Amino acid sequence: MEFMALVYGDEAGWERLSEAERSAAYEGYVAVSRDAAAAGALVDASELESTAAATSVRVRNGEALVTDGPYAEVKESLGGYYLFSCDSIEEAVEWAAKIPAAWHGGAIEVRPVHVDEEVAA
Amino acid sequence: MKYAMLVYGDQSAWQELSGEESARLRAQSMPRWIALFEELGKADPNVIGRELASASEAKVVRVVDGQTIVTDGPYAETKELLGGVFITELADLDEAIRLAALVPTAEHGTLEIRPLVTR
Repeated sequence: MEFMALVYGDEAGWERLSEAERSAAYEGYVAVSRDAAAAGALVDASELESTAAATSVRVRNGEALVTDGPYAEVKESLGGYYLFSCDSIEEAVEWAAKIPAAWHGGAIEVRPVHVDEEVAA
Repeated sequence: MKYAMLVYGDQSAWQELSGEESARLRAQSMPRWIALFEELGKADPNVIGRELASASEAKVVRVVDGQTIVTDGPYAETKELLGGVFITELADLDEAIRLAALVPTAEHGTLEIRPLVTR
């Protein structure tokens, strides 16, 4: 089974960190990828650019409306994800608890990936 | 350039439908999803696409004073929730916008495009 761990954190807080604090946190993120990959539990992981770099697209009445900025202005925004392959959600939660944002006032949302035989692309 | 395309839609509308009705709507929109997957595959043969299970199945994980706290999710209480993600490598943002507008969910929800950090 696959689980997506969505990393939510306070973007402004992240930008306030010193270079040393940030690189320590990075090491924590890289360690999760490395350990999960070594355990055969990692499918993919990425960090997203800040919400300032977001573009939102909506189609209404057949017309594409493109706006700068994220879908929702929230204090804690999606900053990255890990896609885990695990036997159970409990195992995915254990990996999630190792992600630095979970320790620093942020939160990790763990969502099972929907399996649809028709769209197994 | 690598991009995440975040698919936000109103899940509550789906949950109010009967199993039969939602299966019918899924089947109805299927040709458009298949057309989208073809376009995405042409733009990036290594595209990753995942549909997330309903937010009611989500768990939110926090660690406070070394203690893992798990609550039933989702994390954000917004009307439109993240329902799926595409990760693609594309020529530019215009290409990402073109593909995002082909996602059937864009007609009632929102597609958010975010560049990925490359290191």
